[in-house]
Amino acid sequence: MIRIYSLFFSLFLVTSCTNENKENNLEKQNEREYLTLYTHRHYDSDKLIFKRFEETTGIIINVVKASADELIQKMETEGNQSPADLLLTVDAGRLVRAKNKNLLQSANSDILNSTIPMHLKDSSNYWFGLTKRARVIVYNKETVTSSDLADYEDLVNEKWKNKILIRSSNNIYNQSLMASIIANKGIDSAKVWAEGIVNNFARSPKGNDRDQVKAILAKEGDLAIINTYYLGKLINSKDSNEVAAGNAVGIFFPNQENRGTHINVSGIGIAKNSKNKLNAIKFIEYLISEEVQEIFANANYEYPVNKYAKSSKLLESWGEFKEDKLSLTKLGELNKKAVILFDEVKWP
Amino acid sequence: MFLNLKHFKRDFNKWTLLIVAISLFLAIPVFSILISLFRGSGEMWEHITSYFLFDYIKNSTVLIIGTGLLTFIIGTSAAWIVSRYSFRFRKIIEWLLFMPLAIPSYIVAYSYVGLFGNGGTFINIFSNLGITIDRIEMMNIYGLIWVLSFSLYPYVYAGTRTIFQSFPSQLKHTAYLLGVSKRKYFFSIALPLASPAIIGGLFLVFMEVLNDYGAAKYYGISTFTTGIFRTWTALEDLQSSIYLSAILVILVFLLVLIVKWLKGRRSYSLKKTNTNQKNKNYRSELKGLKKITYLSIVFVPIIFGFILPLIQLLIWGIQTFDSMFNSDLISLAYQSLMLGLSTAMIVVFLALLLIYLSKWNYFKPLNVFSKVATLGYVIPGAIIGVGIIRTSKSLTDLFSFHYDIEIGHLIYNSLLVLIYAYVFRFIAVAFNSIEGNTLKLNENLSESSYLLGYGKIKTFFKIDFPLLKNALLSSFILVLIDVMKELPLTLILKPYDISTLAVRAYEYAEDERVGEAALPALFLIFLIGSMISILNYRLRVNKD
Repeated sequence: MIRIYSLFFSLFLVTSCTNENKENNLEKQNEREYLTLYTHRHYDSDKLIFKRFEETTGIIINVVKASADELIQKMETEGNQSPADLLLTVDAGRLVRAKNKNLLQSANSDILNSTIPMHLKDSSNYWFGLTKRARVIVYNKETVTSSDLADYEDLVNEKWKNKILIRSSNNIYNQSLMASIIANKGIDSAKVWAEGIVNNFARSPKGNDRDQVKAILAKEGDLAIINTYYLGKLINSKDSNEVAAGNAVGIFFPNQENRGTHINVSGIGIAKNSKNKLNAIKFIEYLISEEVQEIFANANYEYPVNKYAKSSKLLESWGEFKEDKLSLTKLGELNKKAVILFDEVKWP
Repeated sequence: MFLNLKHFKRDFNKWTLLIVAISLFLAIPVFSILISLFRGSGEMWEHITSYFLFDYIKNSTVLIIGTGLLTFIIGTSAAWIVSRYSFRFRKIIEWLLFMPLAIPSYIVAYSYVGLFGNGGTFINIFSNLGITIDRIEMMNIYGLIWVLSFSLYPYVYAGTRTIFQSFPSQLKHTAYLLGVSKRKYFFSIALPLASPAIIGGLFLVFMEVLNDYGAAKYYGISTFTTGIFRTWTALEDLQSSIYLSAILVILVFLLVLIVKWLKGRRSYSLKKTNTNQKNKNYRSELKGLKKITYLSIVFVPIIFGFILPLIQLLIWGIQTFDSMFNSDLISLAYQSLMLGLSTAMIVVFLALLLIYLSKWNYFKPLNVFSKVATLGYVIPGAIIGVGIIRTSKSLTDLFSFHYDIEIGHLIYNSLLVLIYAYVFRFIAVAFNSIEGNTLKLNENLSESSYLLGYGKIKTFFKIDFPLLKNALLSSFILVLIDVMKELPLTLILKPYDISTLAVRAYEYAEDERVGEAALPALFLIFLIGSMISILNYRLRVNKD
């Protein structure tokens, strides 16, 4: 009996001590400058980048990680007392949504304006793309040659029946791809396209992008639509089966003869109620500096938006490609339409 | 009405007020969600009903029936064997049977694909042995039922085992004397006696199945919970997703009613007649073919629920050890543990308070409130998160409007809100199991104590508390485990300088880096495993 009481008591002591520690931390933080970053990115390389920023500027980055939707919801409800200074997402659509919900503010910086290409940022500077990812076709090198492939639109061809692997429509990258097709081809052709892809599914959509590539190695299908940086991670994985899967496929950038391959960005915007706007801009400028952009490219296989930054060896080996210059704002605006379309054609 | 008022006057006492106050405080998120229901369904509602509401209901029903059957079979058979038979390493096996609880279901889902999917560990082993199979397809609804059943059956096993072990040996002897066959003894005596515990365990399984997000999403199965997320995030219609959650809550209420109806007024209390006689030798020895069969029945859930996923996680953990192992993991483990311990303490305390207050309060209709407070377990975590953020917003608005004080920094990103959310989410876990045990207490004991002049509170500490010690400890540890595995609430509400092992594992898995997720997951499994061992040890000590 006494033992249980003392157990509870000591637990209470321990927990109250940790609370005290927290208060001390808070006091320490008040003396220094800090930025609160709401981010959807979970990469280890980001931690390193933030740490370097802290070392050079003395500004501490407080990181809140959750999915972009949850973060947006959080900012919305927190209103003008939200601690968020910056919102970092893995696709442009969510930033557009945050802007439309009046959660972001415009930022003027010559460095940002001159470094980031027009189509990769908001037209009124509410958000900025930091890194690019292309949604490409990968194919089984044994059964398909790159000359068999051309555009996303050709994937509905009868010859790819039971051959196409792609993940569920819950995934934002698929939603953005569909949005880009709606923007380029109109909603009716987009629907026909989606129906065609569903017809050619090798299996009901499941798993993540990496699983689609592994399925090619296992001959479940011949083609998969995936993001470039997942392929980079597969090839550099510590799991030999993943490496084998990554090496078994060829990469193909579709629509090179016309509008270009669909790309999306991981991007950032300053929160409307941020009280540290200047530091926030400083942080974004740091993120697009050549030094940081090269870390993104080398550690995470993302294409830099800063054209002076060197991309990694692997990315260079895939060659240059023409990218779809469609304004990324469109992706956000058409996201919901894309999802509705997926439901209508029964793409799970 | 008049009569009610009279009753009210007669029955009202100080406990009535207290119970209402505490329940209301705990039920704030439910009310915030309820209120938003009055705003009407969102604009996408028609789209949802015409395209996938049917699928959600169908898949969720299939999942519930499938996992219900499987967990019932696995849980009760394992519980029966370990409590009726003695064999070597029985105590270790008893403990191992709990262990699947330590691995979050979505991690089990990933590791099964790692084992049996394309190029999986076992597929490679098979092909080295000359057997070529491409894969064993796990990523479908049957695979999901398999994964969820083997990771959730301990909920059924735990309560059932306790009941089976509490059977006095006289019961068996009497039955056999009267000519009952062993089979009949199990089906006509043991199972009905254990049915309240089995149903209680199944209910927890159903809640976990309905709340599962990670595994269903990865396997590409649309369920209510994945639908709630899709509606909220992709269709940008929070209002409709709250509507979907409301339907889910109604379905759960139906389930609760069915459970109540199944339980009926049945409550068996087994009287221990001869307490001096230790029941030591009542376990029969297993021999021959029967031994092999029974042992394999116990080993199946251990292998499929714990050992196989653990093997895959260890393989991944070793692959990524160099890059992943650092002191961060220790501090994450510490933070997970502290969050869990403080929450579990508060939860057990409040659950006890609610139960005893409703006991002491004579105006029974108000006890409904205490049930409302335990609704948190059935509402999807993310929706609770929204409810809580909304509530905290009203609070901060109130302060800044009336008193011109900004308390935003206290509310957002503070441990207080996170722990409150945990308490709301998990109080049902403690409430149900403690309540079940208080019902087993003999009322005469406390009434004698009142008669001898002790007050209610003193009686509680002198009589009920010591008798409930085991139940309190088990629910304490169950809540602790649940908090350490919890995901959506922790993600949304945690302060930025706090993180947990579950969150870290999720971050990597979400980024398709399951290998990197293995080490934090293994730490989590180790922690939870030690908790289960403590529980097992304490329960055994207390029993002897």
